[in-house]
Amino acid sequence: MTETTQHKAGPAHSETIHLPAPTAWPIVLALGCALAAAGLVTSLWVTAFGAVLMVSGCVGWFRQVLPHEAHEDVPVVVQPVTITTTRRVVRRLEIGPEHRAHLPVETYPVTSGIKGGIAGGIAMIFPALAYGLIAQHSIWYPVNLLGGAGVGPSAHITTAEIAAFHWSWLVVAIVIHTVTCLLVGLLYGAMLPMLPTRPVLLGGILAPLLWTGLLHSAMGVINPALDARIQWGWFVVSQVFFGVVAGLVVAREGKIKTSRGLPFFARMGIEAPGLMESNPNAGPPEYSDEEKH
Amino acid sequence: MADQTLPIAGTVDVTPPRRSTAMLLEWLHGWVVTVDHKRLGILYLVYGIFFLLVAGAEAIAIRIQLAWPGMHFLSPELYNEMFTMHGTTMVFLVGMTIIFGFANYLVPLMIGARDMAFPRLNAFSFWMTAFGGLLIYYSFIGGFGLYGMGAAPDVGWWAYAPLTAKAFSPGHATDYWALALIVAGFGTLGTAINVIATTLSMRCRGMTLLRMPLFVWLMLVTSGLTLITITPLTAAQIMLVIDRYLGGHFFDTQAGGSAVVWMHFFWIFGHPEVYVLVMPAFGIASEIIPVFSRKAIFGYPAMVAASVGIAFVSLGVWAHHMFTVGMTSVGNAFFVLSTMLVGIPTGIKIFNWVATIWGGKIRFATPMLFCLGFLFQFLIAGLTGIMLSVAPWNWQLHNSYFVIAHFHYVLVGAIVFNVFAGIYYWYPKVTGRMLSETLGKWHFWLFFIGFHVTFDTMHFVGFLGMPRSIYTYEPDRGWNHLNFIISMGGMIQAIAVLIFAWNLVHSYLKGKKAGNDPWDAWTLEWAVPSPPPVYNFAADPVVHSRRPLWDLKHPEDPDWKYEA
Repeated sequence: MTETTQHKAGPAHSETIHLPAPTAWPIVLALGCALAAAGLVTSLWVTAFGAVLMVSGCVGWFRQVLPHEAHEDVPVVVQPVTITTTRRVVRRLEIGPEHRAHLPVETYPVTSGIKGGIAGGIAMIFPALAYGLIAQHSIWYPVNLLGGAGVGPSAHITTAEIAAFHWSWLVVAIVIHTVTCLLVGLLYGAMLPMLPTRPVLLGGILAPLLWTGLLHSAMGVINPALDARIQWGWFVVSQVFFGVVAGLVVAREGKIKTSRGLPFFARMGIEAPGLMESNPNAGPPEYSDEEKH
Repeated sequence: MADQTLPIAGTVDVTPPRRSTAMLLEWLHGWVVTVDHKRLGILYLVYGIFFLLVAGAEAIAIRIQLAWPGMHFLSPELYNEMFTMHGTTMVFLVGMTIIFGFANYLVPLMIGARDMAFPRLNAFSFWMTAFGGLLIYYSFIGGFGLYGMGAAPDVGWWAYAPLTAKAFSPGHATDYWALALIVAGFGTLGTAINVIATTLSMRCRGMTLLRMPLFVWLMLVTSGLTLITITPLTAAQIMLVIDRYLGGHFFDTQAGGSAVVWMHFFWIFGHPEVYVLVMPAFGIASEIIPVFSRKAIFGYPAMVAASVGIAFVSLGVWAHHMFTVGMTSVGNAFFVLSTMLVGIPTGIKIFNWVATIWGGKIRFATPMLFCLGFLFQFLIAGLTGIMLSVAPWNWQLHNSYFVIAHFHYVLVGAIVFNVFAGIYYWYPKVTGRMLSETLGKWHFWLFFIGFHVTFDTMHFVGFLGMPRSIYTYEPDRGWNHLNFIISMGGMIQAIAVLIFAWNLVHSYLKGKKAGNDPWDAWTLEWAVPSPPPVYNFAADPVVHSRRPLWDLKHPEDPDWKYEA
């Protein structure tokens, strides 16, 4: 690349710069201090001599700066110039979406996963209750299976007891169900950027698998007696309900642009000259004479 | 010629260069009475490099003594003096003087000022430091110690109590150590005050704090840390002098004093002192790496924040040097965690330097080679530092050669490497001549190889249980060959340093002319002639970004368009 920067020079003129005048008093004072200390390991006469130098150094130094600081004038010649450039400007590569093909440009927000979790949690109640009515003739059966996991009933609990209504089991079941729905929804939302184009598929398959796997692995530890009574087939059906509804809710949410397309430093809030988007209309800031910094 | 300067503030300096016709005595007088920050910076640097050679010679003497079991190259008493003076010299007379030499020379130029805020205090501070160094070395001639006349300090650079008490260190050798460092310490404090005042009050127009070169930022932080850390050391040394001269009992355990108090005083200075030395080295790397990668520094605000963070955290880690003293478990846990915390801001820095190099158009000139060596070695030093911060690990390896290897990885692998990088980088500005690249590469590779032969091996001999500061060892310990290798590495480093010294002299006399801006750099010091005139800038500079010379050289694509 050829470059021809031109400096259009004006007439040179002389100026004078004030600089502090050279002085021997700092070295005299420093030598005095050093000798004053050295006298402690040599002779007190050395300390005395050091003290004399210290006093001399202080007096001489004060006289250098009081009443007026001693200075020397240095003449300089300066020449005003105006800078122009005919440097060839390099056209920069336009960064388009194709440069980011491996990353989603848009995705669903994490909050949509939470909303989907709430909606799915409500929807899955209905197949669960249907299972209770059809298989066990009681809507409280699935509720107690869930609530019992938290209450911890005895290992010899009967089917009739599980099918009966228990206030405490209902409250615990609601708490567990709400918290789990929110957590799975959050996990679902966090995974959305990885599968941004198929939210229903993700919700209908992956989310049920996640939840079922989570509970299947945990129930055997939390409450083996109840674990043995869960019909995992029905359980999966209710999970699919959860997932499909959650997926539909997410799909209805608008997509947002991901920040992954931005440079790392931009996401970190760090300035990096030359790589951030420039402002072509900006100019060098003007400073008034009073504005030092 | 001055008319080759870049047009700072819309003007160029066309002042005819002054030709000196001074006789030798006039020339010497000019240096003695100078208050010019550049001359004082050069004095600091020459003084520091001279003592680098002296301390290097002491290290070689130590390594010859330890090269093989049962050696008697040095007497036991001289060996003690050698390792004491080596450590003291390297920390106080080499490290501190060289970093303040760089600061003196560069800070005013980099911020567009004509001199330091207090030019006379600047001269006083240098001479205090210089006379302090001369005083401690005078002890080799005039000191009277345990073994008679000519006794230098022999209590280790840490000078633990009660070894420093009159009963165990009779004579004046220990007094030389305390008094000389008190004198030098006041010089250090003066320069630190000067750097802070200059940085805060003398920046040119447009040079906001967040446009300052990172070297200036690091020197500002270092100077603040210096004020905080030198004061407890000076106080403790005055207390030691009171103990030894006036019958005080600060550190006399038999009279109600405490030897552990000395350890606290010393290490509350001593550990931050490592950061006082290494942070200017960070500053040097932060200037050189971008220029030789042809990229702006990555994450400037994060680098500034990390520097301040390191300084802050470093003030709370000192007792990790004292795990074996027997602190409470809460105390141990606190200092383990606080020490590990240092890894976060230093990690940020390393990532940012690597990110600056990443994708850059790298020029492997000698300054960059030393900086790359620094990056690798500082990472290893940080990792062994994290290992030593774990109290149970520390209990096993305390006072072993593993610790020596770790801190030499920091002090040499990081600081000395970057000091060399800085000298190669700014020597053209100071002298107007380029250092020889050929000799520079010989210097780098020999020093790099010698460094690793020495200090990598030192880790292993430490693992095998070799304690520090021992005069010799039995031949059946399994340390023989490792010690020989370590000593050979030391010799290789010594050859490298001699090549460096020769390069300094030879290039000054016959080096290629540098011009004003031989590296195509971006900070203000490269806008003035090489060497700069006494007034620095003919017209007050005005800057609009962190890279004012980039803006001047690239008016079609200036940085100020992108900086907030």
